[in-house]
Amino acid sequence: MTAAATPPAADLEALERQAIAWLVRLQAQPANPRVLSACDQWRSAHPSHEHAWQSVAHTYALMRQSFMRLPRSEAAPAMHALQRTAALGGRRRAIGRLAALALAVAPAAWLARRELPWQRLGADYATATGERRDVVLADGTLLSLNTDSAVRVRFDDTQRRLLLDRGEIFVSSGADASSPVHRPLRVETEQGLLEALGTRFSVRLLPEHAPPASRLGVEQGAVRMQPRSAGVSPLVADAGQRWLMTRSGLQAEKSADMDIHGWTEGLLVIQDMRLADFLAEVARYRPGHLGWDDDVAELRISGTYPLGNTTRVLALLAEALPIEPVLRTRYWTQVRRRR
Amino acid sequence: MTVHTPTADTIEWLYLRHHDGLRDWIQRKLNNASHAADLAHDTFVRLLMRTQGAATPVGEMREPLAYLRAIANGLMIDHWRRQTLEKAYLEALAARPEALAPSAEERAMILETLAQIARLLEALKPNVRTAFLLAQIEGQTHAEIAQHMGVSVRTIERWMTDALYRCHRILHGDAAAMGRAS
Repeated sequence: MTAAATPPAADLEALERQAIAWLVRLQAQPANPRVLSACDQWRSAHPSHEHAWQSVAHTYALMRQSFMRLPRSEAAPAMHALQRTAALGGRRRAIGRLAALALAVAPAAWLARRELPWQRLGADYATATGERRDVVLADGTLLSLNTDSAVRVRFDDTQRRLLLDRGEIFVSSGADASSPVHRPLRVETEQGLLEALGTRFSVRLLPEHAPPASRLGVEQGAVRMQPRSAGVSPLVADAGQRWLMTRSGLQAEKSADMDIHGWTEGLLVIQDMRLADFLAEVARYRPGHLGWDDDVAELRISGTYPLGNTTRVLALLAEALPIEPVLRTRYWTQVRRRR
Repeated sequence: MTVHTPTADTIEWLYLRHHDGLRDWIQRKLNNASHAADLAHDTFVRLLMRTQGAATPVGEMREPLAYLRAIANGLMIDHWRRQTLEKAYLEALAARPEALAPSAEERAMILETLAQIARLLEALKPNVRTAFLLAQIEGQTHAEIAQHMGVSVRTIERWMTDALYRCHRILHGDAAAMGRAS
């Protein structure tokens, strides 16, 4: 990096504030194409803008990880406890500069030491439609369950097995530091085995696919794929790749109309997607029936949508496209062309 | 040319000279002997990390005891914060039917998460904190929060920007500190 590309500290602070202001604007209007393109413009205006953006986006993701570890059902007690505790802040500010210096290093070590050895050896986890959940497993692995998913955790002395029975998971494999021997981390589905090679990846069951398949998306590292049928050789999937695994074969997927890991951030991020495909995605997060008329299926849509509120997503769609969602009852929605 | 002797520039020396005094000092403040022993120990671990991380060498500290107490003070605040968090959280849980309560291990994980979040929030003004939590925990939109709190959407956006900037500085500082320590 050249000296010219690094702005002075004061400018850096101003740029980070600007980047955060964009982040806030995007959250307020996730599907507004004008805000999106204005934000893109700001980012590409100067390398220092993009740098500030990346830095802010990184810490934002870290912060969201904390919040997403709170189960939905714990929102009220969590609010109560945090409101109560924040009053202690005043005391810390009074300690002065010396302590502030010492504390600058403190948090990371504190967290590392207090990391508890979760004993979840035989645990089962499930989510309801519209629910997401993050779990830290005994080996330090972070397991995220998407909507309507079920997984069984089976760890023993020789391996760490995750049996995916329904839906979709994201796995960020842990170091497994307490085990004396290396125990491979494997996700098992109806179609075969997926073995982590030190990595972050997702697996989604596609029971409606013909034949039924498991979809693998690798974000970091690599994953070894072994379909169930005898005689099929395993292959290794690398970072950035997507694969479909059936019982008898493996096939790379090229489609790039959706960020398949967007859900871990609570977002549906899509690019020029068929409306029918988009609605099928939204339907996964929405209790009840979500249908659409044939004459809207081929419309195209792009943007970033919040998964937490599908009714709002449908309202945003109606602003962007000549369609309207018709809510016949709370659990029966049909999307049709606006008349 | 100086001859090296284990004098005031080593952590061992500091430990031998100040550990017991520090522990007693913490105990007077905390009123709990086993926690005081833990925290006194943690204080030296922290000091070790700091000095190995190319910060102030022990020999250059003008007031080692004041420095140790400052570190211990920070640890005590973490400790108090955790206690307050735990108490407030359990209070809120007690208001619910037992069947809905999370298991002990879930509770431990939730408290750990809450402690991480609490650290991010402590410098925020009460209004900003409430708005931020409504957005992050309850997933409310800016418009909903604005209505709920009786302020404009613009104000909410300004508060969110402030809150996120604070979080960013703290988390960014952590990353930098980890980089130094490793």
